[in-house]
Amino acid sequence: MPIIVNLDVMMAKRKISSGELAEKIGISPANLSILKTGKAKAIRFSTMEKICKVLDCQPGDILEYRPD
Amino acid sequence: MWSSEKSIILSKLGVLFFMGLVLAAVVAAPWLTRWFVEFSQAGLKVEEAVYFMGTIYVGFVPAAFLLYSLFKLLRRIETGQVFTDENVDLLRRISWSCFAGAGVALVSLFYYYPWFFVALAAAFMGLIVRVVKNVVAQVVELKNEADYTV
Repeated sequence: MPIIVNLDVMMAKRKISSGELAEKIGISPANLSILKTGKAKAIRFSTMEKICKVLDCQPGDILEYRPD
Repeated sequence: MWSSEKSIILSKLGVLFFMGLVLAAVVAAPWLTRWFVEFSQAGLKVEEAVYFMGTIYVGFVPAAFLLYSLFKLLRRIETGQVFTDENVDLLRRISWSCFAGAGVALVSLFYYYPWFFVALAAAFMGLIVRVVKNVVAQVVELKNEADYTV
């Protein structure tokens, strides 16, 4: 899929662990792992909003479009 | 009280009954075909019983495969694995088994024309299962999408 999830990059910049982020945005570590590994088929606006709020970033910092 | 578990058990019993029926037809084929040729009043010769036996033996292969796949499908449903790629695959196998049975019946037309109705019924059944397979495949896709929505 040409949509790349750069969540791990943003997490490294903010020095936050997966467990901590999952707890703060209210999703399971398993679901966060699905998102981080690029296996997710879709992301809810509510989840994106919480991620942006916790990591203090824009949706564009998390998602990137790279043509095949 | 009637429940989905009991319904599945009933379906499994039905499949087992047909498995027994198919096995009995194969074992009793020599007597069954002779009886049919002699008493059917269809104007058949006794030598033609061998063709009927051929149809029964060749038709046994797709029938057994179909019943085995059906039983496997029911066991998967019983364990809660309903909308999965494996079940779509099983439905595809069942559908192709019906078409294979229709093919056997079509070939058998050369000695007994009423096989046409068996071929037609089997092909129609295969078509219905194929449509169900297409629907389940779409549901599996939707389910996967929902499961991977974060």
